[in-house]
Amino acid sequence: MATRVAIIGTSAVPVGLIQSEVNAPLQVLEQEIMTRLVVDSIVDAGVDRGDVQSLIFTLPRPYTQQKYFHTFLVSHLRLACTGTVMEVMGNGMTAALAFDQACNEIVLGRAKVALALGINMESAIPAKEHAMSSMRTTGDVDFHSTSGFTPISWYAMDATRYLYEYGATREQLAAVAVKNRYHASLNPIAQYRKPLTIEQVLAARPIVEPLGLFDVPGRSDGAACIVLASEDVARSLGKPYAIVRGRGFCHDGSHQINEIPNDMIELVSARRASAEAYDQAGITAADIDFAEIYAPCTIVEILVSEALGLFDRGKGAPAALAGETRLGGKIPLSTSGGLTSRGHPAYVTSLYSYVEMADQLFGRAAERQVPGARLGVTTGELGNYNASLIHVLEAVQ
Amino acid sequence: MTLDIIEIARERAYPPRVSAFTLPFWQSLSDGRWLTTYCEQCARFTFPPKAVCPHCWSKKMQWKDLTSTGTLYSWTLVHAPPAVFTADAPYHLGIIDLDSGLRIATRLLDPESGAYTPGMRMKIVALRYRDGPLFAARAI
Repeated sequence: MATRVAIIGTSAVPVGLIQSEVNAPLQVLEQEIMTRLVVDSIVDAGVDRGDVQSLIFTLPRPYTQQKYFHTFLVSHLRLACTGTVMEVMGNGMTAALAFDQACNEIVLGRAKVALALGINMESAIPAKEHAMSSMRTTGDVDFHSTSGFTPISWYAMDATRYLYEYGATREQLAAVAVKNRYHASLNPIAQYRKPLTIEQVLAARPIVEPLGLFDVPGRSDGAACIVLASEDVARSLGKPYAIVRGRGFCHDGSHQINEIPNDMIELVSARRASAEAYDQAGITAADIDFAEIYAPCTIVEILVSEALGLFDRGKGAPAALAGETRLGGKIPLSTSGGLTSRGHPAYVTSLYSYVEMADQLFGRAAERQVPGARLGVTTGELGNYNASLIHVLEAVQ
Repeated sequence: MTLDIIEIARERAYPPRVSAFTLPFWQSLSDGRWLTTYCEQCARFTFPPKAVCPHCWSKKMQWKDLTSTGTLYSWTLVHAPPAVFTADAPYHLGIIDLDSGLRIATRLLDPESGAYTPGMRMKIVALRYRDGPLFAARAI
């Protein structure tokens, strides 16, 4: 039987504006944050530093001056390893890939304990300048970027189409932002914690119509470290852990747009990858207690909630407005506050999803605790959900 | 297909790279001709133009006229642009399903009246800037 993988510990800094201005006399250095987090995560896990044999890093943003950050950090911790030490990159999927690769290290027997970790610093780069880079990640540089497409412009077109096909309303989308802000108000490491109303969301300035300021992510820095271990190690620690019960990946073969007209808002990659993950776990969508969804914009959470099978097509938006995705509702989504309120330090965003999974499944989410949380699902993605990486996790207490 | 040509008295904000392979596309666009690559082996069009057919992987690609009319699938109005597009903002972007069965994404000209809505009939136009062409779409 294949080795099973567990999350046994986590650490993270509060998401926020951490990056120094370029010319600030005192600079915040990535290695100072990251070394402290590794120490904290090992304490949280209750293992010995010598047990760590693999470290899978998310690629830092190009604004991070120190290159080869992974081997640099290993030197700061004097961690000699026989597993793999590497950086991974997959746009928005970067952190989900780091986690998945760390799982592989354990399944392959290269490590009994592996870290998935990283830091994302970008907030001091003005949005317009950062967009000069991000516009080259979505679509074709010569045939799309030339028109001015940006990552969130594609999600905005998902929203237009969804509103058109299902008669959904902007109020229903806004309900996702309000709900996520409420969840974030209960999360000490969330970036935006002041409660919002639907009226405020609707009155905010437009960013990519029909989406306004509170429908889209802000600018965020963050860093986190997840400790994974084989189940025998996890069991030996005598405390709660979270088993990875299913992993599903799907790339739909297109980059941002399918040149053969398809149902763009079906998010077929999330549909297929979650079906695979559920199958491995021997569950159905109805068994899931909560989900931590990679959704940069309000519309995306709705589309993903449908693609995961939590709601029928066209029902995700009314469900959001009815409070079904709020803590205490039928299926709480993004109890951390999600990308719109916990914050979206893009290359490490999914690490924060696993932090929330651990808090919920260890039973330590305090005011955010989903009562009896046993099965949770996370999503990672890139492009316009052209690829999805889904993990199903189960509490062992 | 022959496109309406709109002259724009400035340079492109973010010009495309042109390769020896895509040169015919951009040269034709300057003359108001809308071309793309067509696979001799499986008889399918692809857009943007590609050196290898994504369907059958044949390298036997030729240039053919592409349908310039279609239906609007979705759109957005961008108020938060990358730095080089600041002067254009807010600007419309859209996804169009061409009548020949290809889906493309491009800039939409500002509507002459009212607002865009999915299902509207659209056509491609050539934009002739001082330094070279781009394409866009507008309602029919």
